[in-house]
Amino acid sequence: MEFEGTERYYLSPELGEIVNISISMEKPLLLMGEAGTGKTRLAFEIARAFGINMEEARCKSTFKGEELCYVYDTVLRLNDSRFGSGESGRNVNDIWDYLRFGPIGRAFLAEDRRVLLLDEIDKTDSDTQDNLLDVLEDGSFTIREINHKVAAQHMPIIIITSNAKRELSDPFLRRCFCHYIPFPGPEEISIIVRLHFPDIAEQLLEACLTEFYRLRGQGFEKPPATAELLDWIGAVRSSGGNGPGAGKAVRHIGTLLKRSQDLLKFKGVNQKTQFR
Amino acid sequence: MGAGVLDSSSPGGGTAANMGTQTFGGACKDSLMLSFIQQLREAEIPISVRYILEFYRGLQKGLAPDLDRLFLLARLVFIKNVEHYDVFERVFAHFFLGKGSWQMPDWEEVFAGKPFQEWLREQLENGAISAEELRTYGIEELLRQFWETLLAQTGQHDGGHTWIGTGGRSPFGHSGHVGGGMRVYGRGLHGTAQKVIDKRNYINYSEKSPLARENVSQILASLKNLKRAGPETELDIDETIARTAKNGGEIELVFAREFRDRLKLTVLLDNGGYSMIPYLDLVKSVFGKIRDHFKDLKYYYFHNCLYGVVYQDLPRTRAIPWEAFVSQGSDTHLIIIGDANMAPFELMAANGSLYIQGSDRRPGREWLKELRAAFPASVWLNPIAKERWSKESVTINRIARIFPMEDLTLAGIRNAVQILGRKR
Repeated sequence: MEFEGTERYYLSPELGEIVNISISMEKPLLLMGEAGTGKTRLAFEIARAFGINMEEARCKSTFKGEELCYVYDTVLRLNDSRFGSGESGRNVNDIWDYLRFGPIGRAFLAEDRRVLLLDEIDKTDSDTQDNLLDVLEDGSFTIREINHKVAAQHMPIIIITSNAKRELSDPFLRRCFCHYIPFPGPEEISIIVRLHFPDIAEQLLEACLTEFYRLRGQGFEKPPATAELLDWIGAVRSSGGNGPGAGKAVRHIGTLLKRSQDLLKFKGVNQKTQFR
Repeated sequence: MGAGVLDSSSPGGGTAANMGTQTFGGACKDSLMLSFIQQLREAEIPISVRYILEFYRGLQKGLAPDLDRLFLLARLVFIKNVEHYDVFERVFAHFFLGKGSWQMPDWEEVFAGKPFQEWLREQLENGAISAEELRTYGIEELLRQFWETLLAQTGQHDGGHTWIGTGGRSPFGHSGHVGGGMRVYGRGLHGTAQKVIDKRNYINYSEKSPLARENVSQILASLKNLKRAGPETELDIDETIARTAKNGGEIELVFAREFRDRLKLTVLLDNGGYSMIPYLDLVKSVFGKIRDHFKDLKYYYFHNCLYGVVYQDLPRTRAIPWEAFVSQGSDTHLIIIGDANMAPFELMAANGSLYIQGSDRRPGREWLKELRAAFPASVWLNPIAKERWSKESVTINRIARIFPMEDLTLAGIRNAVQILGRKR
């Protein structure tokens, strides 16, 4: 298997090679980098390029790890034992009717090889991450209630993303291949823009990108990223007129800057004076 | 070697020559790769045996047929923190491309060494490099070819895709394209390593201080503080069964709160002025260690003494208002790291701030007292060893009267953790 990107997604040669190395080494690939660098998108594109199914886990801070493997629905079983399972066909005496598999469980049990995406792993506790590691490395987990071991039929292609809100623990990093995706430079980003707006005029693109990188360099709390750029170009184009504007006269600034503080800063209200 | 390499277009032709290169490829390459790994270690990149084994597994799988891919493979296997990208790139560039100054260049050694000599002799013998070409090659080009021959020779040889016998794709005999400068050869990936290295994309993340004191993190981990928190979402099965039985089979569900680590920690770091410079490395090592242990960990920065403002970023440009900082106090642990070494007037005099634009009229001491009152669980860690406090500066002991102060040693940190624990 060799991953080479898809027509809607620009894949830098470096990243493509990294994906291929991780797949051949069967190691989870941890992608870090600011929002809008296409970390999550990559997993979808790998699945699409290989034509295989994907299991996706969007992590929450309340996750403990186990629910990504399976959930044992005790409440439902209690309810059924008291009131009967009705026409659902569930058998109260059979625990398997009350086990539901999470993304990891499904990826392990699947007959085919799947892409497993653990999105924004940094939102979870470090304990959770450690739990997940053992599972992912062994390719198996145990259903505690019945001491049943579920082993992966095919090791999934594991893609993990992190926005680096909190640092991940050392053991976690140790077991992954880590790649930090830097924000794309003008060359790469114009390729990306062209994938979305194939007919964009050279002049407009250049004007937009100049302004975009200028804004990014101004140290806003949430600097505009790829998604904002695409929204903005879309807005500029659909509203007609000529060019994106520059300096304080940038049009549709709301699509680029989302935080009110950033907008105030852009409009020239000096925040610092208020703090003194 | 696969059948493909015995292709008739193979430059030197003979089987003997190929056999020769093959045997020399194995063992010598191992020792060279090991010395590369050794250099990474010397650059203070933490490398475990596990990584090395993985790296070799990758090489055996033929994942690094050229320098570009060797670069990526090595980075994926060895580098886990973006902080180390920059130094890794420098070591790689130095070791494989002979660039820059990653400490001692042992080119003499490599050139004089048997593997290189043997390789060169062979190249000349089988005509891959002619004596004239050799003169036009720079050291870099020669080294590059040397490495890539080695790389191409481990790994799987799938059909005609190896360097030998691929006619036009062979890196040899292409001196005309080289043109003096560096050119990293690679299918589809032309010049990735080179380009990436030259950009030095990761220099901003570089912090040259890998962490030596393994046990610091364990000590700090003892700060962990598990409490039942959040909504009652966890079914307490034992209690549910007991109550249900009491109810004569009528189900009664009992929920409990989960155990969660709720500890919040704020670290306030003195990162300015010359007085802290000798201690920055030490502080940083502690810094990196404590990161992953807490529910909520924030860093703020100040300079010298506190005058009603702390900063969110290292260069101290983004100020946050004192009120906002102080208001998080009661349930947050505060660790201040600084040498507490300042001119007495900074601490004692009204208007002591060194900054003209600051309009604070209260002396530093007052601000510190206010901070101490706002954070019941707080401690000051001083990089200066305890026994030197009174010698270094009078202000240290004055501040130690406001904040419990410990030095940045293992014992000191252990004490600090106990102090924080008591005030919980």
